[in-house]
Amino acid sequence: MTPNGAIGFGLILIAAAGTARGLTGLGVILALLIAFALASRRNIAAALLWSLGIVAPLAAFMALVWIGFVGRAPHEIAAGVEGSRAAAATYAATVCLRLFIIAFAVQALFLRFAGWTPLRFVRALTAPPLVKKLLVLTLSLIETILQAIDRARTALVAGGLITRRFSQVNLRNGWLLVQTVWLTVIAIAIGRTRDKWPIEGTLSRLDHALAAAAPRPAIADFAWGAAAVLCLGIVWGLR
Amino acid sequence: MFTTPRLVAIALCAALNFAIGNVVYLVKLPIYLDSIGTILCALLIFPDRLAALCCAFIAGLIGIILTGLVLNPFLPWFAGSVLVIALISALLTARASDTFRARPLQPLPFFGKVILCGVVTGVGSAIVSAPVVAYLFGGVTGSGSAFVVAFFLKAGEQLLSSAMLASLAIDPLDKVLQVLLAALLYRATPREFIAMLRVPQTSAPRAG
Amino acid sequence: MRELIGGPNFSGRSAALLQRLSALAPGNAFFVGPYAEAALSGLSSTVADEIAIYRSDAAAAARAFAPLDFAALAARKPPTLSGGEQVLLALHCFALSDFTIIGIDTALEQLDPANRAAALDFLSRVPSATLLVDNRLDHIDGWSVRACEGAPAFRLDLAAAASRLAPVRAPTIALEGLWFRYPSGRDIFRNARIVLQPGTTYRLTGPNGAGKTTLFKLLAGVLAPKAGSITLDGGAYAPWRDGNRIFAFATQNPDHQWCGATLGEDLSRRRRALARHKQIALPDMATLVDLAAQLGVTSIDQHLYELPLVARKRLSWLWPLSGALPWIMFDEPTIGQDRAACAALAATVTRLAALGHGVLFITHDDDFAATIAHTRLQLADAAIKA
Repeated sequence: MTPNGAIGFGLILIAAAGTARGLTGLGVILALLIAFALASRRNIAAALLWSLGIVAPLAAFMALVWIGFVGRAPHEIAAGVEGSRAAAATYAATVCLRLFIIAFAVQALFLRFAGWTPLRFVRALTAPPLVKKLLVLTLSLIETILQAIDRARTALVAGGLITRRFSQVNLRNGWLLVQTVWLTVIAIAIGRTRDKWPIEGTLSRLDHALAAAAPRPAIADFAWGAAAVLCLGIVWGLR
Repeated sequence: MFTTPRLVAIALCAALNFAIGNVVYLVKLPIYLDSIGTILCALLIFPDRLAALCCAFIAGLIGIILTGLVLNPFLPWFAGSVLVIALISALLTARASDTFRARPLQPLPFFGKVILCGVVTGVGSAIVSAPVVAYLFGGVTGSGSAFVVAFFLKAGEQLLSSAMLASLAIDPLDKVLQVLLAALLYRATPREFIAMLRVPQTSAPRAG
Repeated sequence: MRELIGGPNFSGRSAALLQRLSALAPGNAFFVGPYAEAALSGLSSTVADEIAIYRSDAAAAARAFAPLDFAALAARKPPTLSGGEQVLLALHCFALSDFTIIGIDTALEQLDPANRAAALDFLSRVPSATLLVDNRLDHIDGWSVRACEGAPAFRLDLAAAASRLAPVRAPTIALEGLWFRYPSGRDIFRNARIVLQPGTTYRLTGPNGAGKTTLFKLLAGVLAPKAGSITLDGGAYAPWRDGNRIFAFATQNPDHQWCGATLGEDLSRRRRALARHKQIALPDMATLVDLAAQLGVTSIDQHLYELPLVARKRLSWLWPLSGALPWIMFDEPTIGQDRAACAALAATVTRLAALGHGVLFITHDDDFAATIAHTRLQLADAAIKA
């Protein structure tokens, strides 16, 4: 399967999750997603757990707010009826399952292309060159920020301004970490944009590295795409 | 408009939104702090207002898409709020850039402009985001602001008005804080980087 | 064409290098700057991607430079490599590319002697033009020399700085059973042990990636060991838990140690942090400002990141030279520094030890190390050997 096909599949399912009204429709989408993830022949447990980890705090939060505090569903509020906690629970479950599907769809995509480098993945996308370049730049700058966080931590821990463990000092000086990270990132950015990149024409090298034609759609792209469209149709019919 | 340093600034500010916004989201504070990069981007690129608007909006958009992919699937639906924040930042907040960078810091003008710009940004953002919160997410987006929405719901308000009241209660405070943090980061940014963003890129050999 | 660009600091060597590269091959010259942000592309998330960005089918087959097993490192993130490994990766990418000219600004100073010799040999035989700035070379056989003479700036007066130092009593440090590895990495230290005496200067040696900087970070509390202990005069010391109150650390890249945007912010914040430890004799701000002036920076409002890199490197010696903390760590202090600055720093390090401070330094500069009486500590096979 190609990255273009996988992203198309994911977007159709996310759109379906957005239009689904009830738990049945969302269940159909989830079943297709799990089948897609299993077809990657990789261990999907980590992807499921990660998605659960994203949604679980939200689910607890929604339960507290809607079931515990408000005690009725939004449509009951709009209708001006007393409502019930059961309806609120159904509403919360629907929203959480929708979000779980969106989170798991992204994880399933990552699963399918595990082992690909970011450059290889972006190169295989069908997108304007500027978009591809911006994508690579953003991904690389996220790495830069992670590196800057490490450097800033080194500076502030070695200087005694923050500690490795959670502490009151860290709460007071948290802003310093943000400022130090930003300055570190800027210093790195200046070094690259002032010297390295103009001298080498590095970004044009990147254009060349991204320039390979996107792979032709594979049979798997059409098959999974058709399944996603069918799923969307089923969900629409269940509304 | 999109020189290499500006592309770098867009990506950096998007990553800043991503990083700080996600920490706040995970801790469930009733604030957002997910647009500091958007505001900062406008400050950095001002006085080219159109470029400031475009770059700030793109930075904000990339930030919410990344966050949506990794952690908070609600966020991509708030692209309208991102546009409003970028617009106000480019047209209003960025005009205070000289005040924000003045050394020594002049407290009255500095904090006065932070509060003014923050409140205007917050009100604009609240008006645009409330319908999204109400109709797409039933008032609960996973951030701590949902407690405030719940309070108004319990008090008998309808969903849209609860979401609007909560947004108007939280957003101005949140945006004042964000403008303040963006101003402080802007103040700390080296002149050389700002100069790179404001002129067409040239190689600048440097003694050392 | 092979050219060595010489001259003292602030004579315009870096500017001359960049101007020559721009003139000879505008937008098409490979550049390896002093630190990682100017050595690697910054566009790759893995070593494999970094190589892929530069690899060209048009590269000459005769160009080969692979002192490390880059295939084994393919999935590593480039920033997680050591400074020397990043320089070697940059040179490997140049070898695989179709660039016909390369400029290197003091980056070779980060390499251990074996890799440095291999890099110079490669640059001497590769069929491409090379421009090199290196503080440890006056000439290379077969290379031309271009001398730069610029107006002096950021005046350094280490003699004055050293004259204000007072005797101290530093504690004896003992490492016992030290065990550390990075996540998804090999053991850096495995049951390592060593005793460090005050008033002594130690040089840490070992190949690039052996763990020298890692040891410094463990001692400063930036990293925590998986097992093992550190004692000060027999008493337990856990800086990763309780904070660093013993070591003044001058990092290899000076930008790894700033705690503020301006000199004033950095000094005041660090003073406030150190003031929590009552046993530290904290210098007052006026003394620190004088010391900064002796290191070349005269304004307390100076934005740290607006200084040239060489000036930032010298300013990074401030807290080690303040005398406030009993143990000093210098990580590659001479990178980018000319002979005069290196000689002055060597004399200052000797004085620090004579006054009772303990000093640890890492350097690949054998000439610098030879001017300081020291005990060698070899890091190899996850152990520390005196």
